[in-house]
Amino acid sequence: MRPENYQAKSHPPSNEYELFIGPNHPGIEGNYAFKLRLHGDTVIEGKADAGYLHRGFEKLMEGRLWIQNIALVPRICVPDPVPMEVAYSLAVEELCGLEVPERAQWIRVMQLELSRLASHLFTFGGHAATTGMYTPSYWGVADRDLILDLFEELSGGRVYHIFNIPGGIRRDIPEGFLERVSSTLDYIESRLPDYDNLLFTNQVFVTRAKDVGILNQEQALEWGVTGPNLRATGLTFDVRRDDPYLVYDQLEFEVAIESAGDAWARAMVRRKELLESIKIIRQVLARLPDIQGPVRAPIPNPLAWNVPAGEAYARVESSKGELAYYVVSNGGDKPYRVHVRGPSSMHAVQVLEWLSVGARIEDVAQIMFSLDACPPEVDR
Amino acid sequence: MMDQELDRTLVSIFNEMEKVDYQQKSPRRLRVDVAPEALPGLLELLKGKASYVHLSAISCVDWIEEEEFELVYHVWSYEVNSLVSAHTRIPREGACYLSVYDLYKPAGFFERDIYEMYGVYFEGSPHMEKFILTEWNGPPPMLKDFDAEAYVQDTFNWQDYQPDWLKDLEEAGGGVEIRPEDVRR
Amino acid sequence: MADISYKDKGSILNPLKNLQFFGRKPVTEPLGPRPASKNYRGFHLNDWDACIGCGTCQKVCDNAAISMVRVPNAIEDPVKGIRPLRPAIDYGRCCWCALCVDVCPTAAISLSREYVHVCTEDQIDSYFMLPDASGMHGKPFAEGWAKTETTDLIDLERQEMPEMAPESRSDNFDEIVAGYDDQQALLEASRCVQCGMCHDACPTHMDAPEYIRAIWEGRAEDAVRWMYQSNPFSHVCGRVCTHRCETACSIGSRGTPIAIRWLKRYAMDKIDHEQVKAIAAEGKVDYLTGKRVAIIGAGPAGLTAAYDLVKKGHQVEVFEGLDKAGGMTRFGIPEYRMPYDKLDQDVDVITSLGVKIHYNCRIGQDRSMDELQNKFDAVVLAIGLQKGRSTRIPGSDHAQVRAAVDLLRMITLGEKFEIPKSAVVIGGGNVAMDIARSMARLQRQEYGEVRMTVTALEPRDQFLADPEEVKEALEEGVVILDSRGPQACTLDEEGRLNGLCTWRVLSIFDENHRFSPSYDDTDEQIHEGEIVIEAIGQMADIGLLGEDLTEALEWNRGRLQVDENGRTSEAWLWSAGDCVNGPDVVHAVADGHRVAASIDAYLGSQESVEAGA
Repeated sequence: MRPENYQAKSHPPSNEYELFIGPNHPGIEGNYAFKLRLHGDTVIEGKADAGYLHRGFEKLMEGRLWIQNIALVPRICVPDPVPMEVAYSLAVEELCGLEVPERAQWIRVMQLELSRLASHLFTFGGHAATTGMYTPSYWGVADRDLILDLFEELSGGRVYHIFNIPGGIRRDIPEGFLERVSSTLDYIESRLPDYDNLLFTNQVFVTRAKDVGILNQEQALEWGVTGPNLRATGLTFDVRRDDPYLVYDQLEFEVAIESAGDAWARAMVRRKELLESIKIIRQVLARLPDIQGPVRAPIPNPLAWNVPAGEAYARVESSKGELAYYVVSNGGDKPYRVHVRGPSSMHAVQVLEWLSVGARIEDVAQIMFSLDACPPEVDR
Repeated sequence: MMDQELDRTLVSIFNEMEKVDYQQKSPRRLRVDVAPEALPGLLELLKGKASYVHLSAISCVDWIEEEEFELVYHVWSYEVNSLVSAHTRIPREGACYLSVYDLYKPAGFFERDIYEMYGVYFEGSPHMEKFILTEWNGPPPMLKDFDAEAYVQDTFNWQDYQPDWLKDLEEAGGGVEIRPEDVRR
Repeated sequence: MADISYKDKGSILNPLKNLQFFGRKPVTEPLGPRPASKNYRGFHLNDWDACIGCGTCQKVCDNAAISMVRVPNAIEDPVKGIRPLRPAIDYGRCCWCALCVDVCPTAAISLSREYVHVCTEDQIDSYFMLPDASGMHGKPFAEGWAKTETTDLIDLERQEMPEMAPESRSDNFDEIVAGYDDQQALLEASRCVQCGMCHDACPTHMDAPEYIRAIWEGRAEDAVRWMYQSNPFSHVCGRVCTHRCETACSIGSRGTPIAIRWLKRYAMDKIDHEQVKAIAAEGKVDYLTGKRVAIIGAGPAGLTAAYDLVKKGHQVEVFEGLDKAGGMTRFGIPEYRMPYDKLDQDVDVITSLGVKIHYNCRIGQDRSMDELQNKFDAVVLAIGLQKGRSTRIPGSDHAQVRAAVDLLRMITLGEKFEIPKSAVVIGGGNVAMDIARSMARLQRQEYGEVRMTVTALEPRDQFLADPEEVKEALEEGVVILDSRGPQACTLDEEGRLNGLCTWRVLSIFDENHRFSPSYDDTDEQIHEGEIVIEAIGQMADIGLLGEDLTEALEWNRGRLQVDENGRTSEAWLWSAGDCVNGPDVVHAVADGHRVAASIDAYLGSQESVEAGA
């Protein structure tokens, strides 16, 4: 059924037609619509249509106490919720001048990287499915589930962890947790050759993904592309390394890049980041036992917590790119303004519209997925 | 890397302009306050002369008591790794401002978003139309004088539950005493 | 970073690699719910014995999922801070964030490891649950996310109150407690969860949540405004109130209750006296009703009634037997606890509204009850408890046996008496501590050493005195002996009192819970003392009523019989305060409000009758 706001062109040229993709999970994680005008198999125009997941988070946050928003923010990106929690917390901490205990910072990094792993596993499975290969999506989701098990153990929630709060994290890691993280990492690392065989060096995938949705570096910068999509154009930039937060400046990792700027390059950057995230978490596992102490700075009674007036722009590298929270306080017990800058608000809208022009119909779904867009970041 | 000392290019840009206040908040964060008429020029210099090529976001804040909108342009330089947040304030009544789409393509998204959510019109922006709230006919919802919770209360019904345990308690003289909406502040 | 070669098309035998998967463990998820992790945030559990119905969970709930439900057969005890309310959860709104768990003052709520609930549309009512300890479906599931010391979002520790050290305070009557500064008050006020248990427990139902919130927001003036809604003795209550609010405070169930009394004191000290007067005058009617009310006794009960009545436009005259107002708060409480200038301010606020106080005017001597009955439309008897009770042990009629209240009054009035080198106090309440500590100060001033002994019937953990009082008395050099029952005052050959003989107490009450102490007479001690001070309770001095009135009034076990509004069996006479309720400042204030309301209603009805006639 066509949505009410859809209006077909009354007399399209006979060799052109319109196609409506979505709004139910149109090959990306979330409800989103993409309207195409095609000439034969070639896209003439693409128009993103958002709003199917708009829940007014930014408005809701203005009506809730500072602490209550921690339950809200992870919902802005289901596949990768931890950066949302951390970015919000970082902004509030900057406003309050809260010093996050070191142990909490390391545990935050561990969560962020686990979340990145989970998100990338999810994404490459989905990307593979858009090329007609379904086994990687089963594998990716099954292996991601092991990370969700870890999150469940850590935070009590598999998807909405609600675990990072301004001041630190809500509780310390359970006993024996690090060993279980370690064995899950070993397992996932042992799976990487399988993924390579199945997908990344699979000629079906290589042939389908190469030269699709090409974005060169200049264009990427012009359109505000960030994260793995930007690194796939050869720019070595990562917020973790170049605008470090938490303890990323104490960690050794490489910024994965590719140069081709096509769908395949974007997938490859994520594939390489799997290994880098595993390396980062292993460094956390090695360091964490030596860093004892509290995991949360003392915070006021959540029902009587006024955050000093001011503004903060907290930026993190999510699995999808640059995620930022602009938080303004007027000194009250609720945020005066929270602006969520999700990477997908670029990738899923103007970049996708621009990239799809000239693409073939069978590649549109792949372009969408290779950008790893997350519609709720657009809608908020 | 920009450290404690402010980038010399930036200083020269600020010196070129009038009505610019700047404040280094941390090694990689710089706040600039600028008059609305000077902001596009400042962004042009930042992008053209100081490598701030990435528009990270445009944030809008509704300062209803001051009857102003604050627009904040967050721009990042991949070369010196620093973020400049340029703040400007425009009158809230009939809010209208200049688009920076020609300078920064991402502005197309953010300007449309602010247009939808706050009603600020950006002259020269390519998409001054609905995007997220296609079927919404009310006022721009992020305005401080739009009470979303009141709207919800007026528009939707809460689920009215009548479980057996509640009926039993009501018969015995008990029942729901404080509803959640009674304690919302 | 090594690139992964995508150009390598591999060997033709590559598909054979797939055979290895036959040797691998398959990914198999069992049907049915799998056990959740130890910290799982599943459905709610609520320990009804621990839950006090404070509703803090409801306040922190971000999705408005919690309703507070009245459970008729649950315990209701405002004094202890327990309401018969329990949280019910709407699982259509709950997001399982567990903030309710982390904020729960009593740690009653936790989340279980149960996470499956399925229903059809006609069973949607099952989404609304009243959790107890048995879980969502009455099946045993282990506890998941629960409160630990580190996850607690409640600040259990009170802001410490700065006070004088024992060595600097024990030879003078300077106020011990310094009071909070702005920052301490703000931090202390910020601990409050606004449950309102304090309001329910307070005899005069002060709006403590509101004034605490106002202090937290830096609006001390508004805090004072809230206080004067219900208490014109805010300086006094900010210092010496028995703070039932703090006993009921939900934070106190696991930690130290909010220092509600000290916060009140902070706000009162913060606001300029003239401003307090202006706040107190708010709401005073701008006309006179022409009705006249006489109040006997310028203590908290009498003056509170006067405050209320004068604001309603009645003409109020207060008759006070002594030369200063305040009653027992002035003449019973030592200055180191209740500085007189602060008491004077409370009184000044009340008189500034037009209340006239006749000092040194004893009813029964200077004026008669008949005169008051004839000249006034209503009379309030608020005479307090002035006379000390006696133990009536052998020797207690000796001239060197004194009542604590008499001595305290003499100290306040500055009357000279010979300071005993040593003294024994009988009693374990606050009055016993007051006289022991006052006397200790005088001894230190006079002789440079303290020889005060307090003997109490009760064991230490059941003392009626506030624990801080006992602690501070000990710090000041007072010897406190518990479980000692007084048997006789001992005299020397010349008939001078030289001590008190006590036996060890075995039990205080008999099996019917009646007061009937039993002693171990083999454990006898003689406590040295030039005087013995009895501090075992007070009674009202009702001589002023005169025989006829005493005869006409109804009595109940030696106390004047009054109805729930404080009205006696005589239509024109009300009684309020300690002489009705027993000793307690804030009760007296509450009583003052109560009789004022009753008198106002009575005077109002009288007027309308006259207008109709």
